[in-house]
Formats: sequence, structure tokens, C-alpha cells
Amino acid sequence: MNSDNDAVISIRGLKMLYGDKLVLKGINLDVRRGQIIGYIGPNGAGKSTTIKAMLGLATGYMGDIRIFGRNISDGDVEYKRRIGYVPETAEIYDALTAREYLTFIGCLYGMDEVQADRKAQALMRTFDLAAVYDARLASYSKGMRQRVLLISSLLHNPDILFLDEPLSGLDANSVMVVKDILVRLAAQGKTIFYSSHIMDVVEKVSNRIILLDSGQIVADGSFEELQERLNEKSLEEIFNQITGFHEHKDIAEKFVSIVQEV
Amino acid sequence: MKEFISLKVMDRLRSVFETLGCDYRVMRQIVQVKLTMDRRRVPTILQGTARRTSRPESDDKNSFVPSLLLYAFMGLLTVPFVLMTQNYMFQMSVTFGILMFLIMSSMVADFSSVLLDVRDRVIISTKPVNRRTMSFARTIHIMIYLFLLTGSLAGAPLLAALFAHGVVFFLAFLLEIILMDIFILVVTALLYLLILSFFDGERLKDIINYVQIALSIAITVGYQIVGRSFEVIRLHIVFHTAWWQAAVPPFWFGSTFEWLMRGHASPLLILFSTLALTVPIVSFAAYIQLMPAFERKLQKLSSSSARGRMKKRAWSRAISRIICAGNEERAFFRFASVMMAREREFKLKVYPSLGFAMVFPFIFILNSAWSNGLKDLASSRWYLSIYLSALMIPSVVMMLKYSGQYKAAWVYRTAPIQSIAAIFKGTIKAFLIRLFLPIYLVESVVFTAIFGIRVIPDLVVACLSMLLYAVICLQFTRTSLPFSEPFQVVQQSQRYVGLLLLLLIGVFAAIHFVFTLIPFGVYIYMFLFVLLSGAVWGAGVGFRNEKLLVDPASHLYPFRQGE
Repeated sequence: MNSDNDAVISIRGLKMLYGDKLVLKGINLDVRRGQIIGYIGPNGAGKSTTIKAMLGLATGYMGDIRIFGRNISDGDVEYKRRIGYVPETAEIYDALTAREYLTFIGCLYGMDEVQADRKAQALMRTFDLAAVYDARLASYSKGMRQRVLLISSLLHNPDILFLDEPLSGLDANSVMVVKDILVRLAAQGKTIFYSSHIMDVVEKVSNRIILLDSGQIVADGSFEELQERLNEKSLEEIFNQITGFHEHKDIAEKFVSIVQEV
Repeated sequence: MKEFISLKVMDRLRSVFETLGCDYRVMRQIVQVKLTMDRRRVPTILQGTARRTSRPESDDKNSFVPSLLLYAFMGLLTVPFVLMTQNYMFQMSVTFGILMFLIMSSMVADFSSVLLDVRDRVIISTKPVNRRTMSFARTIHIMIYLFLLTGSLAGAPLLAALFAHGVVFFLAFLLEIILMDIFILVVTALLYLLILSFFDGERLKDIINYVQIALSIAITVGYQIVGRSFEVIRLHIVFHTAWWQAAVPPFWFGSTFEWLMRGHASPLLILFSTLALTVPIVSFAAYIQLMPAFERKLQKLSSSSARGRMKKRAWSRAISRIICAGNEERAFFRFASVMMAREREFKLKVYPSLGFAMVFPFIFILNSAWSNGLKDLASSRWYLSIYLSALMIPSVVMMLKYSGQYKAAWVYRTAPIQSIAAIFKGTIKAFLIRLFLPIYLVESVVFTAIFGIRVIPDLVVACLSMLLYAVICLQFTRTSLPFSEPFQVVQQSQRYVGLLLLLLIGVFAAIHFVFTLIPFGVYIYMFLFVLLSGAVWGAGVGFRNEKLLVDPASHLYPFRQGE
């Protein structure tokens, strides 16, 4: 068990009840520094529940979650200082301007106000958003908001990043930039949890893939390992095979035949 | 971000917060952000008046301070009751009743979004902010809001109490107001908890929406009667305490004054006063106990039970078949009916005017009864005041083109709609059948009760002319398709058109009056109207504006930039 020592995240027997339904059925997981984890699974598999549990948003789970070697259930929130998070729902206080929002978030992470402002402005500039830094977030387009969310998750230079569909709404050029940012951050030793439904991106970005299905980890390894083990070419096919989904042709056929009845 | 005075006051207590185990710097930041966001919202009390013409980004020009001024004005309502001297129990109970209603409904209408902000969880709870700091920030924020709200409302009555009844009365009043605030806070939170235990977030938002509508109506009505309210000072009030009053909280607060200031130590009064003191304190303790349960329930807000029920729409389908010609018109009739019934922002803007439409004719009748006596009323021509209920038609018809989700109107352009007339016909019919006629029917029943069966033909004629009036209103205000514009856009020119249209209903009423002077004139008028209306609706006069669909100058850009 020497892996426990350098594991940034270590989860043992994580179970979670929602109502009377077991949404997580015992997750065991060790994550080391510098890994980019493609965290995938069908809707309702328990992906965001796991992430929420690690962020301390979900209470009432069973099992152990250790982050930086420390059990997070002791009520000390200090570990969150080293975590960055982009939520799937893209929640943001849109009555605020980007300056107000980002400085606020920086302060919540314990940064100095002036420093947070300076850094946020510099990051906004690299994303070509300098001109709208003092405009309200409500007037931003989807892609602009997503970039602000990315900045807000990285402002305090965290060691772990939880990204839930971080590329949604971004154009192809911005996607390239963000992918490269992720690779560079990982090379510096940061750990990235990348959760998405777009398999092509996950396939390219991550160096470890974890597939979750109905509350359990059903596959864990690098893309190449999974390719070899399951004898499939793309991550999409691997996903279909493991989750036991074969009827896509039947469903499509049925759908189209209904479309044709007028 | 602005530095708020309240924050500076709070800074003086910094060491207190820190000894209580709260990260003061972070808490201050959270409260500051929350106050900034509050200022950028338009409060319900100003919904009707605030035209958001200034560009949203331009500055911190806020509607919060003006709303406080309006609250201060509403506070004047209670002053005459405070100034009375004959029965403290009655006058202070009424005062507390008004204050409680205004504070509680404002709390629900405007502060719900704050109390129930689910974004807090995702944005703040994922950061290294400990729970104690967060709950302190929340509590402080609520306290600042309640303080400002209560301060502006109760300022005038408190001053009146100080000058009319002295310092002791004033202090008792102040203390009871604080107890009342605690009580309101707890009751609101428990109410939410109760609703969320049984229903999902969508239902709660619906209930909040109705409270907002009620508040808008109350504010407008209050506005009208502030001046009149001083007449109560002259009235002689006979009031008896009774057991049932224990169930009505304002009586608890009122009783203290009767007991302590007047020395009427009846058991009931003492009981009520004890309730006024203990219930807020006990419920506050319960509230602290229930806080974690409340936070848990809040998660339900963002979720809604996705499984909807398919409602039986047989009768609505039948109506649409009878009154609508063609599939397009029928489709828009049903679409508009659903939008009017469901869209909260639309309801908030439109339903209050429906409320006034109900009330206005009766206010006029009461006025006349007040000055001329009830005896003559039944035989008079005051039933013509039913035309006042048509006052809402122009404003509602103008509102039909707005929607919170105006961007979804791109479907009009991408769908191969044959006739734009069908869109407008379907929509206006939906308005008339779903909103206007039910109200008119209720009014007619009451009018028949007051004036007798003889007015029924007149009511029919008035109804016909209002239907025609609605079509005319539509013709003059129709600049874009239904539900296709954001609420912020209020065109200046439209308001003058609205004024002219208001005059027009006066003309209709005047013509009606002239015909009532002729024997059987009503029937002649009715006959003429049937012909006219038939011609207008049948020929589809006034429904031609095909260019709205294709003209790029129309306001139908599906993907309008910003706002």
C-alpha cells in the first residue's frame, strides 16, 4: 500500500444512498499527481455525485475519501484551497462583472484582493476578454462565461482540478488552447479530473480513463490498455461495449421510421 | 464594488465575529457580493414603475433605494392608526397587521431568490469557506435586508408613536417590531420548509410568484388609499377581544399596548402579550434547530419532478374548435393559453392589472354609494362603471408581445406559418377567453345582484364593445409577434397610444349612455354591435401585417445580442 502515500486522492468503499437507491456502490480509487483522468459514464452513473462528495457538497456518504492524505469528513475545509472546480451547470453570479466575480472567488480561496484582480485581468487578457472585464456576466455569451469559469477555477493555482464539461460552448480554437493548458498543467504535477460526454476529447486529453456505470467503476486504465483489452478502436466503442449498449442501430431505425410517418 | 455603510458598521464588530469562529474577511466579501447583487435587481414593489432604460452595465444605479422610499410612503398607511387614542388594542393590531403583511410579502417576493439561491452551494461551498462563516454571512445579509425594509416601513409610525404617546410607548413599539421581524423570518423559512417537504422547487416558485402578484396589487391599492386612511381617525371604533384572535398574530402585538399602556389587565390581553413575547423566541430556537434540514431541502429547489402529468384538455380543445378557424389559429390559441397561465414573469406583469380591473368598478360604485346613499344606487346608471374593467385591456394586449423567453420566438420564423393573422387571432382569443371573460363574468354576477336583472342586456352590450375594443387595441399596439420581445423594451410611443386607447373606452361608455336614454335603445345598440363585431372578426380586419414575419426591421431576431 505504498501508493497511498503519494496518492493525491484516495477513495475507499465509497457508497452513497439517494432516497432508497444506491447511487454509488463502493468506489475504490487512487489518483496520483500529474494524472489527467477521463472520468466518463452514462447519465446517472454517479460521476457528479463522486465529484460532489470529494468537494464536500454531498454529505451522508459511507466510506473514506482522503485528499492530500487527509480524511475530508472531519469538517476542516482547508483542503479545498488546493482544488479548482468548473461545475457542469455553469452556475455563476451573473449580476456581477467579471472583475467583481473573479476577485470575489479569489478572495474565497484566500487570495489578496489586489493580487486576485491583477491575475484575473491578466488571464482574461490571454483569453481575449480584456474588453469585457468590467461588463456584467449576464451579457456574456456561453463561450465567454465558460472561459470565465475556467479562469475562476485556476486563479489560485490549485493542485487538483475538477472539470465537468469544461469545453461546452467553446469554439474549436479555444478548445485547442484549453486542451493544451490542461496538458501543461498536468506536466507541472497537477491532477485533473476531466468529466465529459464527448469521447473524442477524453480520448485525446486523458492519460487514464475511468469508466463508471451504475455506481461502480467498470474500467480503469490508459486508453491504449483499454483498446487492447477490449479490442475496440475508439473510446466511443469501448464505452458502448462496457456499458452493454448494443441497440443503438435498432433505436435509430425505429426513430427514423416514426419520423417518416406523417 | 461599492463599500456599503452596513459593512462599515459591521467592521466595528469584527472582533466579535472572530471570537465566534468566523473568517471575517471572507464573510465580509460574501455579504458585499450579495448586497451588490441585491442592488442590481428590480424589486417587486417597483416592477410596475421601473423602466429599465439605462444600460444594465452602465453603473451601480440601483432600484433598491427608491424601493425603500416607496416602502417609507407605504408606512404612512399605519400612521393614522398609531395616532388614534381610543382603543390601543384595535389600532395597534391593525398597524401590526399592515406591517406584517408588507414585510412578509416583500420578504417572500424579493428575498426568496436570496434565501433560496442554489448557486451558493456550487459557487461558495466548493471553496475553502467553513460552514460557520457561510451561515454568518447568510444571517447578516438577511438582517441587513430586514433592517432596511422594516426601518423604512416603520420609521413614520415609530415617530408618530413617539410624539403622540411618549417614550415608553415608542420603546414598546420598537421592541415588538423587532420581535415581529424575528417571527416573520422564522415563519417564512418554516413555510418554505413545509412547501419543499411536500412539493418540488417549481411549485415553490409558483407560490412565490403568486405572493409577488398579491404584493403588487396591495401596493397599488395601498397607494390609492394612503390619503383616505386618515379619515379613520374620526371613526368611532367598538372593538372586543375574543378567543379566536389568538390565532391572528397581529393581535398579540396589539394587546401589549392595551394591557401595559391602558392597564386593561384582562386574562386574554395578558395571554396575547405573552404570546407576542414567547412565540418569536421559541420559534427562533426551533428555526436554528431546523436550519440544517432547511439547507438539505434546498437541494430540491434545483430539481423538479420531471415526470409531468398529462392534463385532460378535452374542454379546452372543444372551445378552441368552436371559436378558432383553422389549425394555425387553434395552435396559437392553445399555445397562448398555456403561456399566459404558466410564464411567471408574464403573470407578474399582467395579473396585477387583472386584479385592478376587478376592483376598479366597485371602488367607483362604493364612492357613489358613500355620497348618494345606497337607496338610489340600484336605480341609477352606475352600472356603466363596468366599463372601467376594460381599462386593463390595452395594457394586457400590449403585454402580449413580451416574454421572459422571447428568444424562443425564432420558431415563428423557421416554421412555415401561412397567415400571421392566425397568430394574432389565436392569441387575442386566448386572452379574451382565458383571462378577460372569467373576470367579466364574475363582475356581471355581482352587478346583477346590485342593480337587478334589468342590467343584463347592458352588460351584454358592454361585453360586446369590450371584445371589439380589444381588437382595436391589438390593431394599434401590434408591433411584433406575441411573446417575442424582452420585458425591458418599453417603447415610448406605445405609452401615448395606450393613453389614447384609454380615452376610447370612455367614448364607448358615452355612446352606451346615450342609447340608455332612448327606450329600447340598449337593444338597438346591441343589434348594431353584433353586426359590427361580426364584420370585424369575420373579415379579419386588422389582422394583416404579414411583413412582421419576414421584415428584418421587425423585432424578431431570434438571436439578439445581449439585451
